Amino acid sequence: MAKKAPLEGIRVTDFTWVWAGPYCTLQLAHLGAEVIRIETTTRPCVTRMLPPWPDGVFQGLNRSGYFNQYNQGKKSLTLNFKHPEAKEAARRLIAKSDIVINNFAAGVLERMGFGYEECKKLRPDVIMATLSGYGDSGPYRDYIAYGPAQVPLSGLSSLTRYKDWPPMHAGFSYADPNAGVHAAFALLTALYHRSRTGQGQYIEMSQWECAMDVLAEGLLEYTMNGVEPVADGNRDPQMAPHGNFKCLDWPEPVMGVVIDRWVSIACADDAEWGRLVDAMGQPALVNDPRFATLAARKANEDELEKIIQDWTLPQKVEDVVARLQAANVASAPVADSHSLSEDPNLLARNYFVRKQHAEIGVYPHCGIPWRLSATPTEVRATAPCIGQHTDEVMTGILGYSADEVKKLREKGALD
Amino acid sequence: MAGALSDVKIVELGEMAAAPYATKLMADMGAEVIKIERPGTGDPARTRGPFPGHQPHPEKSGLFLYLNTNKLGVTLDVARPEGFDIFEKLIADADILVHNVVPPEMDRIELSYERLAKINPKLIMTSITPWGMTGPYRNWRAEDITVWAGGGVCVLNGGGALHPELPPLKTFGMQSGYQGGVHAAVATMGALIARRRDGEGQHIDVSMQESIASQLEMTFSFWPYMKMVATRLGQKPLQPAETMEVKDGYIYVLCIEEHQWKAFVELMGHPDWADEEIFKDRLVRALNWDALKVLLEEKISKYTVMELYELAQAKRIPFAPVSTMGDLLGNHHLKARGFFVEIAQPVASKHKYPGAPLKYEKTPWEIRRPAPTLGQQNEEIFGKRLGIGAARLAQLKSAGVI
Repeated sequence: MAKKAPLEGIRVTDFTWVWAGPYCTLQLAHLGAEVIRIETTTRPCVTRMLPPWPDGVFQGLNRSGYFNQYNQGKKSLTLNFKHPEAKEAARRLIAKSDIVINNFAAGVLERMGFGYEECKKLRPDVIMATLSGYGDSGPYRDYIAYGPAQVPLSGLSSLTRYKDWPPMHAGFSYADPNAGVHAAFALLTALYHRSRTGQGQYIEMSQWECAMDVLAEGLLEYTMNGVEPVADGNRDPQMAPHGNFKCLDWPEPVMGVVIDRWVSIACADDAEWGRLVDAMGQPALVNDPRFATLAARKANEDELEKIIQDWTLPQKVEDVVARLQAANVASAPVADSHSLSEDPNLLARNYFVRKQHAEIGVYPHCGIPWRLSATPTEVRATAPCIGQHTDEVMTGILGYSADEVKKLREKGALD
Repeated sequence: MAGALSDVKIVELGEMAAAPYATKLMADMGAEVIKIERPGTGDPARTRGPFPGHQPHPEKSGLFLYLNTNKLGVTLDVARPEGFDIFEKLIADADILVHNVVPPEMDRIELSYERLAKINPKLIMTSITPWGMTGPYRNWRAEDITVWAGGGVCVLNGGGALHPELPPLKTFGMQSGYQGGVHAAVATMGALIARRRDGEGQHIDVSMQESIASQLEMTFSFWPYMKMVATRLGQKPLQPAETMEVKDGYIYVLCIEEHQWKAFVELMGHPDWADEEIFKDRLVRALNWDALKVLLEEKISKYTVMELYELAQAKRIPFAPVSTMGDLLGNHHLKARGFFVEIAQPVASKHKYPGAPLKYEKTPWEIRRPAPTLGQQNEEIFGKRLGIGAARLAQLKSAGVI
């Protein structure tokens, strides 16, 4: 007998948009929750309008690779809150939801009439989460936060840099998915608590704070020693070599631009260094006093990296990695969107999801990063077209008749 | 009030960041976590620091102290048969095992769900591995940097088009571990909720590579959708979105929306720039960024970071300072919210640590005890809880099993 997914029967009213919030509710959808996005065609989610698009051309709200990646398995209900009837429909949905979540700036949801106190009246054991850039208290609570800016704000940029270079970025808006997945964990602990006690509760998040939880080593250097950590690119105080080394470029340029390729290599100790030089066909290096110990390799790291890169440069990434892994040396391709799409490991694990999308057909999307043995989880559907589930939700869950839905649509309440 | 997970018992066989972060998240929400370390040297995170006074000491590593708050610590060599016997006794009484033992080592010490499920059929076992439990990379040697690279983030960051010789840049810290850990915590909570309903345990295979690839934003989709490769070398599609230097440091200058750009040029005293053909929208501004950048640099260089940040925010422009650690520890918003927490540990003494990732109304995030010293709870767990006699414990200790 097929087992139910862990969150089967759990319903989520999802007011989130852009990126952190949708990444949170994606985790819940992965675990089997029914996630219903509240959207409006009058102000669609920004990511519905961002590239990439099939054929490279913007042709409507259902074709963005960005949106379609992070909203897999969710439903879309369109409501235009200029109409009181639309607010009533949202209230009915909240009354039938276990979780209500939003990532609006502080106070926005309250002004819309869906603050925690209102939601509790509709659903006494509701679990409600608000994810905002700065949190809903403190002197910056009304400051405006955009994904890319949260990376430098968090401190990650000042820590991520080459030696004596300016701060660099980390990911694109790395603090956003980081916040989203932490929020999913928090909601799950609250669900667990509710299953024991019957109590719902309110959860509040500052994406900024959440990002600082993954850079503790940097903060602790300051709290323990009163100094800023010394950034040194890809290098590591305890391992050498430890970096990314250039290989042969992709043979075909993309839009006239040559795309370079790199391999990531790390040696945790002298033995691994010995295996590396053997694999490089330069076993004499193991006795070279410039590199014989970690201290020596750290002292001569520029030379060390040059020798390795001279070896990797004329080779294909895959050939370098195959040779190094055969010698049990830590290494991997520095993956890009092209190589990741063809990654033999991800393909063998059926990581990519290929489902027929109502408007654009089949495109691979990244799937679920875990496998559960007893209650299997799967991506159940593509990301929804805007308003795709309005009728289904209005009549199936909220108890409107088809006729009532028709009238509400004519009024514009379901835009 | 008790934490949300106060009735949950976890055994952790974890090193460095991945499994320890997953169980820290749960321990900080009230779960009991028994952390098993190898006898003698313990978790290698103890060697990594940062250390007070930059003096390495196994009880003073900032990384270890942060990742292991609220845990009970025992030492046990599970690779030895006598050690595995004791491990099984701990498993018999646990709800969850979280580990990041790599697959070849799991094979060697015969650690498997099938074996442990015989002892405890309701056990949830979470395996966090670099490349997953199946697939051709299963046995690949990995370090945090190689997984971060193999998951697809490194390629996005670094020198940019002006400096293609600079390699793709790894993000600071053990991000593969943190992301593997938090995604594992999500999956584990899912299994725990399912177990409350079904009464059954299960095995969870968490791939760090997949955890990273899952959060690449739009950059992954560029290949399947448009056969484009997103890399550090590409020109930014929209501008301004750039780190820039001002009087006393760096600030992130960001105007994604048109109204933000207009507010910014007004702030600069040049509202006319909004009408210039070469700066007419965010795409065109990206094409002409070289020219625009010089103009902006001249205008903003007279401000301090905080002056420009507060002026911009007052006009609803989403600038942000490029925070240093000192900036963060001194920040009055974070102070007002009480983000940093002081934790005293007997050997390392008292320091400030990053605090709760989220705030809960009813079930507190709290630090009940600092990270354990090596083997701190051996007596309490092995002696009192498992009932192993003092003579036998002494024997196991001299044999190096505990």
